[in-house]
Amino acid sequence: MTGAVRVGELIRSKKVIVCCGAGGVGKTTTAAAISLAAARAGRKVLVLTIDPSRRLAETLGVSRNPPDPVRIPKDRSDAAGITTGSLDAWMLDIKLVSDSAVRRLVKNEADAQRILSNRIYQQVSTMVAGMHEYTAMEALHRLVHAGTYDLVVLDTPPSRNALDFLEAPRRLSGLVDSRAISAFLPRSDSLVTRAASRVIEKILGAVFGDEFAHEFVTFVATFTGIFKSLNVDVSEMRQFLSGDDVAFLLVSSPAPAALTEASFFHDKTRELSLPFRGFVLNRSHATEAGRPMPSLPEGAPDAVRTGLPKLIGLAELERHAAQRDFTLLGELTKRAGQSATAMALPDLPQGADDIATLVTVADALMAH
Amino acid sequence: MLITGKGGVGRSVMTAALAKLAASRGRRVLVTEVGDEGDDYSPLARHWSRERLPRLPEPLEPNVHGCVLLARTGQELFLKSVLRSGTLARAAIGSDALRRLLSAGPSFREMGVFFQLLTALREKSGDQPAHELILIDMPATGHTLSLTGLPELLLRLVPGGPIAAALKEGQGYLNDPKQASAWIITLPETLPVSECLELIDGLKKTKMPVGGVVVNRMPSDPFSPAEREALAPLVDRHAWLGRELFKKPLVAHRELARLRSHTALPLFVTPELPHDGLIAALSRVLDTATPLPQPVGGG
Repeated sequence: MTGAVRVGELIRSKKVIVCCGAGGVGKTTTAAAISLAAARAGRKVLVLTIDPSRRLAETLGVSRNPPDPVRIPKDRSDAAGITTGSLDAWMLDIKLVSDSAVRRLVKNEADAQRILSNRIYQQVSTMVAGMHEYTAMEALHRLVHAGTYDLVVLDTPPSRNALDFLEAPRRLSGLVDSRAISAFLPRSDSLVTRAASRVIEKILGAVFGDEFAHEFVTFVATFTGIFKSLNVDVSEMRQFLSGDDVAFLLVSSPAPAALTEASFFHDKTRELSLPFRGFVLNRSHATEAGRPMPSLPEGAPDAVRTGLPKLIGLAELERHAAQRDFTLLGELTKRAGQSATAMALPDLPQGADDIATLVTVADALMAH
Repeated sequence: MLITGKGGVGRSVMTAALAKLAASRGRRVLVTEVGDEGDDYSPLARHWSRERLPRLPEPLEPNVHGCVLLARTGQELFLKSVLRSGTLARAAIGSDALRRLLSAGPSFREMGVFFQLLTALREKSGDQPAHELILIDMPATGHTLSLTGLPELLLRLVPGGPIAAALKEGQGYLNDPKQASAWIITLPETLPVSECLELIDGLKKTKMPVGGVVVNRMPSDPFSPAEREALAPLVDRHAWLGRELFKKPLVAHRELARLRSHTALPLFVTPELPHDGLIAALSRVLDTATPLPQPVGGG
């Protein structure tokens, strides 16, 4: 393996581990296994995941969408072999966090109430692009500042692109860019803005009908008003995330695009000065390359004799896949360089995300 | 036809095979996918040796047109149709503020895609519909549901005006089982089957008719029952290579049975096929495919 970076060491020492990756690569399961590994090593751990699967919540024995992080029940924690450490999980949906963001950002309770009870807000708070990502940043920020945990593991929201997590809040804050948004505001001092404002009012009126357009403009004005402080939060968060206490991991599957994605992610994190620490190649067969080929045992019955050649055909296919994944892991290790690493996790049996399986993955992570 | 299912199940391949099959039967097909502004890769376009699908329908081969459904294209089409004044439409499309709002704002992306689809549905060639069959390769399942659920959701907010009119018109197509249906592509494996069942429920909640489920890449079983019985203990004891593939057909049949017992929708099975000539082979399979028998007592 490369340099001095070890995934097991990151799990023992970092304060924040951010798991990035495209959707459907087993990122949530990996994040859960990382948290479990740290808790087994005696740390106080929180795993924070947005819109998680029902299955993972069931495995960990926690409800979804509680107002605060919850400790996993004692039977699970015992089954996972957690003794001096602890594991809390917070699996939440964005509605909940966006409501609390409104309360936090709007100092005055009456204003907060007005926004929360606005029917447009109620319908759209979960649909604004970038909201998932903002939610994740927001929750992480608060938890890290509270200092209750030794380690917070963030499972970033699922997206097509592993870096949407970093980019999307900017899209949201782009919306509140003062010049752009002032065109929507009913009152403005600038003549140019007022002219733009009239054009937009006309357009919105034609599109939505006048009455709704008015309500909409009011909504946009208040809603974006509260997000003006978002700019500050995002850059402050960026700064925190670039610190030494943080590690970014990219979880990927051995798809043909994995290498391209890995390079892109690596470059992008460097560009943003974020501490990229490793690739986790999930669902990999890399470790199976050394398993034996089927061979004819002594005195085998006829059924084995006729079946074995067919089995050998399948074994050849598996050996080929294992070899391919092994080569990919080598490439990733090279790409990781001195300040990061690459490791492979096995392809788990489908649907097996019980505690025992998570512990197996946790052990594999710590052994690295 | 909305072709939906989680990533990696062969959705684009299935969409392309269906397009080619329908075209070979003489239907005028429009093949589309829901795209993103920054996409530099289209899994669908490569079946016509292109990197991307065009923004507006263009011929890809005889009887097949293709285009990508983009939020922005649809939003522009919509603004042009609503704002009768060309100047106002140009101002709207050129407005930085409006563009930011449309790219970040609630449901505007889905609305754009929805409207572009509606435009394609309306398109005429003479007095006939320009496209007799529109195939849409849908993105990940969450996005599918936000698109099929869009009319109901937005109509609650905007009951009148041009948006509402467009939504109602689109709803008229989408919620009519004679005109539209969603098809779910899945694999005979545990997680894909579970997600398929969840998606069936989700689509029903959004009133989207579901035409059926295609279970793709069904593995064939080369072993006789006697061979299986004799090999199974050896495979486990020696941890031989080939173990996963040995067990795969058993898992596949178990999962197919589970799917069958949980839904009365028509189920079709397509086999694992070699990569070379995949689309043509799959089209031939689909051409003669018949649904699996209904479960006993089901229906």
